[in-house]
Parts: sequence; structure tokens; C-alpha cells
Amino acid sequence: MSSAPLAQESTDYAVVEGEPPELLGRNLVAAAHLLASATAFFFLSFVFAYFYLRSLASGAMWKPRGVDASIAWGTVVTACVAVSAILVQRGLADHRAGRRPEWRRKGLAALLLGAAALVLQAIAWTQQSFGPSDGGFASVYFGWTAFLFLFVLGTMVWLEMVLATSYRYRGFAAGTTEVAPGEASGDPYRSGADIRDPVSLIRAELEALSFYWAFLAGIVVLTWIVLYLL
Amino acid sequence: MTTMAATLRAPLWRRLVGFNLLTAIVLGVGGWYAGWFGARAIVGPSLDYFADVDYNELSVFLAYLGGVVGFLAGLGFLNYPLARLRGYPPSLREKETEGIGRYFSLCTDHKVVGIQYLWGIGLFFFIGGLNAMLIRFELLRPNHQAFPAGTYLTLVGLHGTMMMGMMTSGILGPFGNYLVPIMIGARRMAFPRIEALTFWLLMAAGAILETTIFFGGFPTGWTGYVPLANEANPGMDNYILFFALVGISMTLLGLNMIATIVTMRAPGLTWTRLPIFVWGVLSTSTLMVLAAPVLVATLSMEALDRTAQTSFFVAGAGGSNYLYENLFWVFGHPEVYILALPGFAIVLELLPVFARKPLWGYRLAVAGLLGVTLLSWLVWQHHLFVSGINGDLRPFYMLSTELISIPTGFTFVCGMMTLWRGRIRYSVPMLFCLAWFFNFLLGGLSGVFLSDVPSDVTTHGSFFSMAHFHYTIMGGLVFAFFAAIYYWVPKMTGFQLNERLGKIHFWTMFLFFNSTFMPLFAAGFLGQPRRVVTYPQGLQFLNDWVSVSAFCLGASLLLFLFNLVYSLAFAKVPAEANPWRSKSIEFQLPSPVPVHNFDRIPVFSSDPYGYGEAPAPVVAPAGAPAGRS
Repeated sequence: MSSAPLAQESTDYAVVEGEPPELLGRNLVAAAHLLASATAFFFLSFVFAYFYLRSLASGAMWKPRGVDASIAWGTVVTACVAVSAILVQRGLADHRAGRRPEWRRKGLAALLLGAAALVLQAIAWTQQSFGPSDGGFASVYFGWTAFLFLFVLGTMVWLEMVLATSYRYRGFAAGTTEVAPGEASGDPYRSGADIRDPVSLIRAELEALSFYWAFLAGIVVLTWIVLYLL
Repeated sequence: MTTMAATLRAPLWRRLVGFNLLTAIVLGVGGWYAGWFGARAIVGPSLDYFADVDYNELSVFLAYLGGVVGFLAGLGFLNYPLARLRGYPPSLREKETEGIGRYFSLCTDHKVVGIQYLWGIGLFFFIGGLNAMLIRFELLRPNHQAFPAGTYLTLVGLHGTMMMGMMTSGILGPFGNYLVPIMIGARRMAFPRIEALTFWLLMAAGAILETTIFFGGFPTGWTGYVPLANEANPGMDNYILFFALVGISMTLLGLNMIATIVTMRAPGLTWTRLPIFVWGVLSTSTLMVLAAPVLVATLSMEALDRTAQTSFFVAGAGGSNYLYENLFWVFGHPEVYILALPGFAIVLELLPVFARKPLWGYRLAVAGLLGVTLLSWLVWQHHLFVSGINGDLRPFYMLSTELISIPTGFTFVCGMMTLWRGRIRYSVPMLFCLAWFFNFLLGGLSGVFLSDVPSDVTTHGSFFSMAHFHYTIMGGLVFAFFAAIYYWVPKMTGFQLNERLGKIHFWTMFLFFNSTFMPLFAAGFLGQPRRVVTYPQGLQFLNDWVSVSAFCLGASLLLFLFNLVYSLAFAKVPAEANPWRSKSIEFQLPSPVPVHNFDRIPVFSSDPYGYGEAPAPVVAPAGAPAGRS
């Protein structure tokens, strides 16, 4: 029994048993699947909006004359994302096989292709013959692609983090390096307990990332079919 | 893989100005102005903002987005991703051993986050309650107006939106975060930094909603229907940002809970041994992860309509207001169960403790929770029965809505059978659980009138439906919330709450809750519509009765607040480690629980409901593992 206010604030870490080593990886993979589920429901709202407004065609304003998204831009953007996702998958296979330099090269190429997709999408918006206020299709087109842009951007940031950690610890094998207290946050005053063996986490994070990036690439392909082909 | 490293003690100056609530507020205000002037640079000057009606929606959005980013940066949420971008390795824990300052900063201890949630949500719950008092004050007279009609609508909107938004995390935030890791034998949540982020996002959202009054408020109530929303003041932007942030927070909270429960259960804790409270959290989290993104997407479309001139919801320009209504309720009805399911779970978790009997029909109770989770996706159009939807759709949604009473009934059956021939102790948490049965039963039965098309046509949009959802949400969730507070706060804080004050709080709250909301069924049947500031003279007696009862209800909640402050800050009577003689694992730990929860991960060999089978376990010494094997 204690009369200390609220939650206790000190502990004897020396007696605390460590976590199972595979736990962090399992968490990341589970989170990637859950994030994919949430992403699916987010974009299902746009799919619903597309078909709902298209079927209503309210005021003949679904797709007025001149409103047609350029299939060339859409195809290039989709291709960049798809190839990037394939490269991450191949990079994961390399990492599993112990070919770390190959993974880093493929990862870098995937990052560049993802960044290219973002730049091309931004250019594509300026090249369309219509604006966001030109009816139902235009609304869905700009809204859907804008939020897809943000999701791809977020995934590229994640890929950059994994790659950066891979490059920083490229000379170390799993289980052979230790992180000093505070190094994880880059701030010695902000450490309570850090992960000491970052190299062993790269694989787990890459497994999670490659799944999510492949899933998101699937949504990009679906977007291409709905917005450009239907 | 992980290790517990010693923490360097930061110098005083660093503790004052480094990444805490103070720096968060300073950077939040700075970010607000940066966003404001950024928007001005994009779309032109609007310095006369407060005096001029030529409001600039983009300015409001970018100002608040800048404010949120600044607020989070001030708390230190950007440090970690920036370090990761430079290749520094992942880390799990921050500020877990920094005294009282932990409660005002980014802290990754799930117990601290739980307590942060309790006080943070309590604050906004209190503000929402004050709005309710103002609404009832206005309705004391049929025509005399204390507030202009627009202000009244904003008060109604603020009350409804705050309660519906904040209370989505009302149980999972404080009690889920605090208890789930302990109940499953873990030391932390799967993603501790995300756990902290969900709380601070919610606080930022609450501040955004309250500042709507500086931008003219919003007239739509909590549902934000178009076309009214499209024509509303910039205060509507605050509503959109509030609910979008709440949606993001909910998604992340649910994701973290599911990942924790799925991957971090201790050895022996099979699915059939999981505490029913954890099942409730799991069901609710599933709804959060899937439904909240729909809300965020819907509000994003509305934000684009207001800023980028898209026309998702503009009927004359290729859009449809029905699109908004459908998408909103695809989220909105699961949202009702996001609020209700944790209440079910708390009641089922507490009944065995106070009836001294095993939980009756454990698997049936789990089936009930999962059944509600599934069916809640198939009912949303009953909110649109009178909106002009295709009449052929009505029978399906009427039947699917009525079908949901079957899994809900499982919960009632399991609860009642657990009470049957139990040795019931009428402690304060148990009283709130018993009241839950009465209140939620009335809420459920009145819901049948609203799911049934012919009666819904009469009662839709009236005080009848308002009374119905207050019986389900306040009578269900809030009563269970108080049961949880009286039950777990002694464990969370190490201090006992005053039992006598607790009982007075319970009885006054129960009586005045029913005295407030039961007459509103009659007012609704007599034709009084929601969200209208005036009403016929003949309804004044009913309304006065309700208003006086509501003030008494407010007073009973103040009594609770007094009890909380008195017990925790002045009386400070140390709580026993296991005051209720519970067999649940959290009560086998010392009060308050150590930072690391367990020295060694416990091994489970049974569920926690073996009452009447063996004496309650002896309390474990400080820092020792729980012993239930």
C-alpha cells in the first residue's frame, strides 16, 4: 500500500525482465494491417461518393463537357507507385536473404519513384482542363487524389525512416550494436528506456512497410481504374 | 531487444521551457498566427477579420492546422519523427519518471496517459454540461429569450458535439489505456507514443471546438448536416476540424488497442480467459478503426466544399446533400455503439465482483458484444427514414435495427443471470451498474419506436428522440463511466473516494436524471421539436420541470466533483490494494501500480471470474508479479 500521489514515478529497472524480442516486430505488422483497414474505409468513402454522385448526376453536373481527367498523367503516376511498391517487395526479399546493400539500393530507388509520383501528381493537377468546382466528377477527382497524395507522402516518409536507419547502421549485424541512452530520440534528456538493438528492428519495420505500401499501391491502381478508365 | 536505461535528470530551465504544456501553448498560438498569415499570403488580406463578414475559410483552416502542429511540436511530438528521419533508431519510452510534470507533457506510461485522459475528458465533459444548463435555462420560458436563436443553436451544437466527440474516448481513453495492458499482463501499450498522441489531439480538438464562438458558432447541432453547414459561419470550420481530429484520434486509439490486445497478451491468456472489459475494448476499437476514417473522409469533403469550392454536397453543382447524410451516418450509427459497448463491458466486468458469482454466459456475452459490432454497420439509414429516401429501403433498415436488440439482449441476460442468487454488495460502483440496467432498458425500448418506420415518422426530430438517446448514452455510458470511476480510481490514484458522498451522488444523479429525461418523452409525443428555441405555452410546465431537474442533476455532478477533489487532495485516505476483493489482475498489484506493472510477465491459468471457488488472492508485494497461476 502506498500513499504516493497518482501513478508511481520510480522503479528499479534492474529487476525488470525484458520483453520477448519478437514482440516489436509483431506489433508493427499488426499495426500495418490495421492501418490498411482504416485506409480502406477512408477511401471507400470516396468510392461511394463517386458512384453515388455518378448515379444521381444531379443537374447534369456530374461530368459537364470538357471535364475529363488526362489518362496519360494518371497512368504515369500509377506506374511510378506500382513499380516503387514492387521494388520495396524485392528489397524485402533481399533483406530476408541477407543482401543488405541490394535492399538499400532498391529502397532508395523506391523512394525516388514515390517522390516522382508525388511531383507528377502535383503537375497533373495543374494540367487538367477543369478545376475543383466543375461538377461532381471534378470534386471527387480532386478530393480523392489530394488525400491519396497525402497517404503516399506519409508512406514515403516512413520508407525514408527505415532507409535512414539502414544506412546509419549499415556496418552492424543484428544483435551486435547498442544504442546509448537518449540516442534514439537524439536528446539525452528524453530517454527512459530505449531499444538497444535497432538493426534487428529494420526487418520487422520493413515487413510492415512493404505490406502497407503494396496495399496502398493497390488503392492507387483502383483509383486509376475508377477515375480514368470507367 | 528492449532495455530499461537510466534517465538523465534535465536541468530546471530545461524542465520549464522544454516540451511541455507551456511550450505547447506558446507554439500553438504561434502556429495559429503562422497559418493565418500564410493563408493571407495565399488568398489575400483579411486583417479586418473579426469586424468584417467577409470571412476567409482557408484562413481559419490553415490557422487551426498551424496551431495544432505548433501545439504538438511544443509537446515534443515532432522530435521523434525528425530523429527517425535522420536515421536514429526507434524508441519506446519518454518522460516516465519525471514527477508531476509527466501529466503536462508527452509521457509514454500508459497509466499516466489514462489519468491524463480522465482529467482532460472530465474538463470538456464539465464544459459540455454547462452548455446543457444554459440550454435548459433558455427553455424555462416558451418565448422569452435569454439568448438569441443563433446563440441557442450554437449552445445546442456545442453541447452535442462536445459530448458525442469527447465521450467516444470516454471509457477507452482513461480506463482502456490504464487497464488493458495490466489486464492482459503487459507492461505497456503496443505504441506508447501514439497512445500519448491520441490524448493530446483530443485536447487540441476540444480547444478548437470551444473557440467556435469567436467565429459565429455553428447552427447544425452535432450532425453538421448540409446544406446548412455549407451556408454557415466560419464557426462551422471549427466543428469540421474538431470532429476530424477526434476521428484521427479515435482511429489511432482503436488501432493501438487492437494491436496491444492481439500481440501482447501474457502466456496463458487465451481468448476465452480475456476479461470481458477487454472484449468490450476490442469490439469498440474495431468500430473505431473502421468507422472513424469514414467520418474523417466525410469532413474532409466538407472542408474542400468550403475552401476549394468543390461540390460534393452541393446539389445544384453535381453534388448531393444525401451523400453527406449517408456518409455521416455510416460513421454515426457505429459511433452510437462506440459509446455504448464500453458501458456494457464495464457493467459485465463489475457485476461478478459485487455479486460474488462468476460471470454467467461468458461466451454469450462476448457473442453479444461482437454481434452488436457487426450489426451496427447495417442500420444507418434508419436515421434517414423521413428524409425522402427510397421507401423500398425502409423495411430492411427497420428490421436490421430491431435485430440489434438480440445481441444487446445477450448482455442483459448475462448481467441478470449473474445477479441471480448472488450475494450482492450495494457499493457505489454496483449502484451505478444497477442503474445502468434500468436506464438502458428504457433507452432500448424507446429506440424501438424510432426504428419502427410509422412511429419514427411521428417522433423523428422531436424531444422524444432526444430523450431516447440521452437514456442510452447518458443513462448507459455515463452511468457506467461513473461506476468505473468509483471502482478503479482508488487503484489508479492510491486514494479512496468518500463512500457516503458517492452514495449521495448516485441517488441524486439517478433520480434527477430520470426526472430530467423521462418527461421529455411526453414533450416529444406532444410535438416539441429539437433545436427550436420556442415552444407552445401548454408545454411550459413540462419544460420547467425538466429544467429544474436538470439543474439538480448538474448539482449532483458538482457533488461528485467535490468528492473527487476532497478525497484526492484533502482527505487522502490511502486505498487498499484490493478494496473490492476482486480477482482481476489489476487488483493484485499495489496501489498505485508500479511504472513497469510487473517484474515478470504473469502466466494466466483461468479467467478472472472464479468467485465462490476459492478465497480472493493475497495482494502481491510492491513490484512483484501478479499471481493467478
